[in-house]
Amino acid sequence: MELRFNDVSKDFAGTHAVDGISYAMGKGIYGLLGINGAGKTTLMRMLCTIIQPTGGEITWNSSNIFKLGAAYRDILGYLPQDFGYYPDLSVYDYMMYIASIKGLRMAEARERIKELLGQVGLLKYRKRKMKELSGGMARRAGIAQAMLNNPQILVLDEPTAGLDPNERIRFRNLISELSEDRLVLLSTHIVSDIEYIANEIMLMKDGKLFYTGTSEELISSMEDSVWHCTVPKQEADGYLERYLVGNIKTTAWGAELRILSKNPPTKDAVRQAATLEDVFLFYYGEKAGDKDDVSM
Amino acid sequence: MCFCSIMVRKRVIKMMFRCEWKKILSKKINRIMICAAAVLAVVFSCFAIGSVRYVDKNGALHTGIAAARKLSADRNRWEGDLTAEKFAEIVKSKQKLAKKNPQGIPDDAYGKMIQSYGDIESFVINVVLNDAEYNENVLYQMTEKQSKELYATYKENMQKMAGEYGETPEQVEFLKKQYRKIKMPLSYQAKDSWDTMETYVETYGIVLAVIIGFLASGIFAEEFRTKADSVFFAAKYGRSKAVKNKAAAGMLMTTAVYWGGMAILTLVSLGVMGVSGFRTLYQIDQPYSMYVMTYGQYYLLMLVCGYIASLFAASLSMLVSAKMHSRNIAAGIPFFLYCLMPFIGRMFSSVTVVFRLVPDVLFNIMANVKNLTVFQIGSIVFRQIPAVMLLYTVLSVLLLPLVYRSYCRYGLRPR
Ligand SMILES: Nc1ncnc2c1ncn2[C@@H]1O[C@H](COP(=O)(O)OP(=O)(O)OP(=O)(O)O)[C@@H](O)[C@H]1O
Ligand SMILES: [Mg+2]
Repeated sequence: MELRFNDVSKDFAGTHAVDGISYAMGKGIYGLLGINGAGKTTLMRMLCTIIQPTGGEITWNSSNIFKLGAAYRDILGYLPQDFGYYPDLSVYDYMMYIASIKGLRMAEARERIKELLGQVGLLKYRKRKMKELSGGMARRAGIAQAMLNNPQILVLDEPTAGLDPNERIRFRNLISELSEDRLVLLSTHIVSDIEYIANEIMLMKDGKLFYTGTSEELISSMEDSVWHCTVPKQEADGYLERYLVGNIKTTAWGAELRILSKNPPTKDAVRQAATLEDVFLFYYGEKAGDKDDVSM
Repeated sequence: MCFCSIMVRKRVIKMMFRCEWKKILSKKINRIMICAAAVLAVVFSCFAIGSVRYVDKNGALHTGIAAARKLSADRNRWEGDLTAEKFAEIVKSKQKLAKKNPQGIPDDAYGKMIQSYGDIESFVINVVLNDAEYNENVLYQMTEKQSKELYATYKENMQKMAGEYGETPEQVEFLKKQYRKIKMPLSYQAKDSWDTMETYVETYGIVLAVIIGFLASGIFAEEFRTKADSVFFAAKYGRSKAVKNKAAAGMLMTTAVYWGGMAILTLVSLGVMGVSGFRTLYQIDQPYSMYVMTYGQYYLLMLVCGYIASLFAASLSMLVSAKMHSRNIAAGIPFFLYCLMPFIGRMFSSVTVVFRLVPDVLFNIMANVKNLTVFQIGSIVFRQIPAVMLLYTVLSVLLLPLVYRSYCRYGLRPR
C-alpha cells in the first residue's frame, strides 16, 4: 500500500500551483499544512483524479492512478474543500446517490449508510434535506459520503473549516476513529487540527513540500528557540519588528511576548517548550518589520 | 460466477438509475415543469374540444363537449365506400342548393345537408382542381358524367402530378408508386376529431419539447451548479457508468414526459370527441399527398415525429449543458429549434434544400405531408418526412456518445 508522488507539478496559466512534489505515503494520517494558496487543494484534486498533473505522475502501488481509473477511485474517498451536494435531496437519498455512483449494491448501501450516519451523528436527521443542514452537519455528511465505499485512501480537504470549537474537536475524534487501516490525507491551516492526530506532517508553501516529518521531529527542530518575556508596553512594537512573535498579552506590568529566536531576546527571557503552532509560525509567519532583517 | 457478476452489475445500474431519477424529481422547478406539462395537456384538450363547431338542422351553432360527436354522427350518414353515385348525388345537391340560394346558403340548409358532406365535397373539388388554388366554382360546373367519372379524373391527375413534381424518372416512378397505394373507391367515415387534433398535437408537442429540453439540460449541469462535481468525478463510476446513466435517465425522462403528456392529451380529447375516422384515408383531405395513410396512422406519425424531435432536443440540450457546465443556453435550445427556427427556415426553404431538413419539420407534419418534396441519392428516392425522422433519430443517438465523452473527460487533458 503505497501512494507516491513522482515530481508532480500543476501549472495554471502563469502560476505553479504545485511545483515538483515527490513524496511517498503509506498507512496513517498525514497532515498537509499550508497557508492560503500554498497548493494543497490542487495537490488533492490531482490525487483524486479530478485534474491531471502537468508534469510527473501519481502512482498507487506503482500504477498510474489515472490509468487505474475506476479501480483506483473504488478505494478512494474524497471530501472536497468546497463540498457541494444536491441541495434538494434528503440526507439519506443523497447518501444513496453517492453510494450508487460508487457502485455499492442496494443492501450493502443501506447498511453502510445507517452505520455511517450513526457514526457522524446524523441518523436522526436522515430525512432532512441537505440544504437544511448546518455547515457542521453538512461536513459530517461529507465525511460520511467519503467513507461509503470504505476507502483505503481518504482525502479530506480542510474538513474543519468554518466549524465551531466543539464541532472541531468532535471532528478530530471522528477522523482519528475513521483512520484505522487507511491512508488519510488531511489538509488544514489550523495547526491544532492535526497536531495530535497526524502521524506525519507535511508543510507546503508555494507549491512545494519543504518539510515533512512527525510532529515531534518538527517540534524538536524548534527546541531552544521559543522564549517568553515581558517588555515595557512602548517597546513592544520594536520587538514585533525584529522578531517572530507568537502571542502578545498586554498586562499591567507591560507586554508579555512569545518570541521565536535562537538567542534570548531579552536578558530575563524564559525558554519555553515549543509547539507545532510555533513551527507553523516559524515557517509561515512574517515579522511586522522588514523581511530581510532576520536575526536568527 | 459470471452470471452472478452480471446480476450484481445490473442491480447496481438499476439503483443508480433510480437515484438519478430521485435527484431530478427532488428539484421543485422540475416537478413544477412536469405538472405544467400535465395541466397543459388538459388545457390543450379543452381548446381542441372547444374548437369543434356543429350546426343543427335548424341552423343553430353548437360548440362544447357534445359538438364533436354530433358532427361525426351527422357526417357518418355518408359512411362507407365513396361510390360514383354518392359523388353525383352530393354534387347535384350542392348545385341545387347554390342555385336556390344565390345570396348564400342559409344556416339551416347547411345544417340539414351541406355540413354532412363537407369532407366529400372538398375531396371532389380537390381532385378536380388538381394543383390549382381551391375554388368552389368547379363544383358548380361539373356535369353528372364528370361526377361519376371522378376516380378516372383522380387517376389521370395523379399521373400529371407525378410528372410535374418528379424531377427525374426515378422520382416520377416513385410518386406513381405511392399513388398506386390509394385504394379506390375510398372508404369514408367522419374524421373530425383527428382533423381537429392536428394543430393541438403539434403545438402541444412543441410545449413538451421545450419542457423536456429544460429538464434534460439540468441533468448534466446539476453537479456544476451545486459544486457537487468533485465528489461525483472522484466516485468509482463518476467517469463511466454514472455518466451513461445520466444520459439514459435523460432519454427515459424524455420518453416518460412526452408520452405521458401526449397520452393525457389524446385520452381526454378523443375520449370526448370520439375516434370516428380512424381508418379514413388521409387522401380524403389531400387527394394528392404522397403519404398514403389513414387518419389513425397520420396521428401516430405526428406523435412519433414529436417524440423524435423531443429526443433530439433532449440530446442536444444535454450535450450543450455537458460542454458548457451550465444549463443557461442549453435550456433554450428547444425553443430556438422549434419556435425560432421555423421563421428562419421558412424564409429560406425555397432557396435551399437544407432548410427542408431542419428539425422543426417534425413539428410541422400537418403542413409537410401536403408537400411533394422528395430527395434522391443515386437512384434511391425518399420522402421528406421519413428522411427527417431518420436523420434526427440517428443524430439524437449519435450525440449521446459525445455527451458522454465531454462529461467524462472533464478536468482531464484532451487525449
Ligand atoms: N483553477 C485554477 N485556475 C487558476 N489558478 C488556480 C486554480 N486553482 C488554483 N489556482 C492557483 O493555484 C494556487 C494554489 O491554489 P490552491 O487552491 O491549491 O491552494 P490551497 O493551498 O488549497 O489554498 P487554501 O488554503 O486557500 O484552500 C493559487 O495561487 C491559486 O490561485
Ligand atoms: Mg484549498
